[in-house]
Amino acid sequence: MTNNPVKIVMVEDDHGHAKLIEKNIRRANIANEIAHFDDGGSALDYLFSPEVRANGPLLILLDLNLPDMSGTDILAKVKGDERLRRAPVVVLTTTDDKVEIQRCYDLGCNVYITKPVDYESFAGAIRQLGLFLSVMQSPDID
Amino acid sequence: MESRTSRRWAAFRQFLRTRSPYRTVLLLATAATLLLLVVNLTTFFMIQRIADDNAQVDHTQEVRTTAREVLAWLLDAETSQRSFLLTGRADYLTNYERAAEILPERLNALVGLTLDNPEQNARAETIRDLAEDRVAVLETAMDMARAGRNADALAVVRRGQGSELMVQLRDEISVLDTQERNLLRRRTDQSEDTSRSTVYINAAAGLLMLILATMSFIILRRFIGELAEARDEVAAANASLEQKVKERTGALSRANEEIQRFAYIVSHDLRAPLVNVMGYTSELEQAGKTIDLQMAKVETAQPDLVEQDALVAVREDVPEAIGFIRASTEKMDRLINAILKLSREGRKTLTPETLDMTGLCQKIADSVQHQTSEADAEIQVADLPTIESDRLAIEQIFGNLIDNAVKYLDRDRPGLITVGGRETAGGWVEYEVTDNGRGISDRDHERIFELFRRSGRQDRPGEGLGLAFVRNSVRRLGGTIDIESELGKGSTFRLKFPKRLVLASGEEFQ
Repeated sequence: MTNNPVKIVMVEDDHGHAKLIEKNIRRANIANEIAHFDDGGSALDYLFSPEVRANGPLLILLDLNLPDMSGTDILAKVKGDERLRRAPVVVLTTTDDKVEIQRCYDLGCNVYITKPVDYESFAGAIRQLGLFLSVMQSPDID
Repeated sequence: MESRTSRRWAAFRQFLRTRSPYRTVLLLATAATLLLLVVNLTTFFMIQRIADDNAQVDHTQEVRTTAREVLAWLLDAETSQRSFLLTGRADYLTNYERAAEILPERLNALVGLTLDNPEQNARAETIRDLAEDRVAVLETAMDMARAGRNADALAVVRRGQGSELMVQLRDEISVLDTQERNLLRRRTDQSEDTSRSTVYINAAAGLLMLILATMSFIILRRFIGELAEARDEVAAANASLEQKVKERTGALSRANEEIQRFAYIVSHDLRAPLVNVMGYTSELEQAGKTIDLQMAKVETAQPDLVEQDALVAVREDVPEAIGFIRASTEKMDRLINAILKLSREGRKTLTPETLDMTGLCQKIADSVQHQTSEADAEIQVADLPTIESDRLAIEQIFGNLIDNAVKYLDRDRPGLITVGGRETAGGWVEYEVTDNGRGISDRDHERIFELFRRSGRQDRPGEGLGLAFVRNSVRRLGGTIDIESELGKGSTFRLKFPKRLVLASGEEFQ
């Protein structure tokens, strides 16, 4: 964690949400690098590029409603990869359908958070996620 | 009873007027029966006639025999008398005496037997007269012989009167016999004719009946063939109907599923921008506060630099705008959540179980005890019939209705809410929730079941969801809901459910 800090990969098509998430993570004093992708394809390209697979611990923040594919597809691919599957995945989405939640956990998602419309609780959740990240031990991918 | 009989007769007349295979077969059967009756009667009369003819034949034979007997006895008497006259021996008289004894009876019998035929009767009487004359002649001679006047007696014989009479007698008897023989032949012919006719009539009737039976058979066979075809057609139609119903039901439940999914997706997609609106409103508020602080600092340091308009904008306009944005967004969020909830209700799996409705409603009534006692109201739950349905849905339906009844009581009078119910024909149960509250005006009776619509004074909290949920749930349970209400008097919500909830095959999705 010291010389190879956790990199946050955020897959979120809504730029507003992405910005809000980032702001609130920063407000929680988390300075880790955040790589933002607004569609599933480019996120997968990045995740499965040799240097990412070879380097550093990752934490993936994943939205489920993406324009080109469902977040669950990305989740399935990540958790199906023998190296990437060690990376914790936090699903952060508007959907609070219990079937969807079950499906994500079945696919190996580590945390599932619903984006509340109430901003205060949303900001609170993100900040807590930030606190969580600051103490969490992320496994090295290699 | 009277009318039923007349109805049956009317139906029978209608049946007779209408062309149908049944009618044809019935008519054929009736014809066959009548024919059989005719044949029976004919045969009966024929047999009677044959018996008559036979009796006549016997009769003729008797007449002939009797006539011959008469002749035989006369000859016997004659022979006997002559033997006596020749020999004088009394023992030769035995036959004569017997003939004299029997002859009158036989002659009378002959006359009696021919009474049916005047011609023959006249002849018989002539024969009797001749025979009696002949006997008288014999008697005369016999009397003379007995008196010892044998010569006189022989003279009488010799005179030939007796022989003449005998010749006449023979002629008469011969004629009588010939006549009777003719009669006999005629009667035998007649009898044979009758027998032959009987055979012909029977044969013809048999043939006719065979034809009728064949016709009946052909008609019935054709009819049964048609019936079988019709049955096959009906079966085919039924099968295709079932298939159609299955297809329609499938399409319907798919459409329903799609609507639910649509509502669900819409509400989620509507939520995403709302997160931004709320989030950035908060960010703006934060920014406004930062600017306000900055302005305050500038105000204290260099008051002449601060424009009054800018201060108003930062301290009043911006917070006010943010307040409105926030209130609207919150409302929008509630509405979206309502749609989401409604769509979720529709996707919930139903599990039918037998529900003690009296207990269930009493429990709901107890849960609003606090509100009812506050409103000086009472909830009366009657003995309700049980129902086999989904517990959660039924609880929500009755919970909503009772809640509403309590919520919209008229505070000017003591509240009374009653829950009643009964089983009705055809496997249905009806319940009703009645209150003496504010009531709902006629024009709102349909509107209140629509999403986000409310009626009357808007002095109670609510989003206009309850009754929309209720109607949605009632429909999912295969039931209906109606309202009867008068403004200012109270309302009655009538619910009708199938006694046993049967799930469509499309209901098993989650």
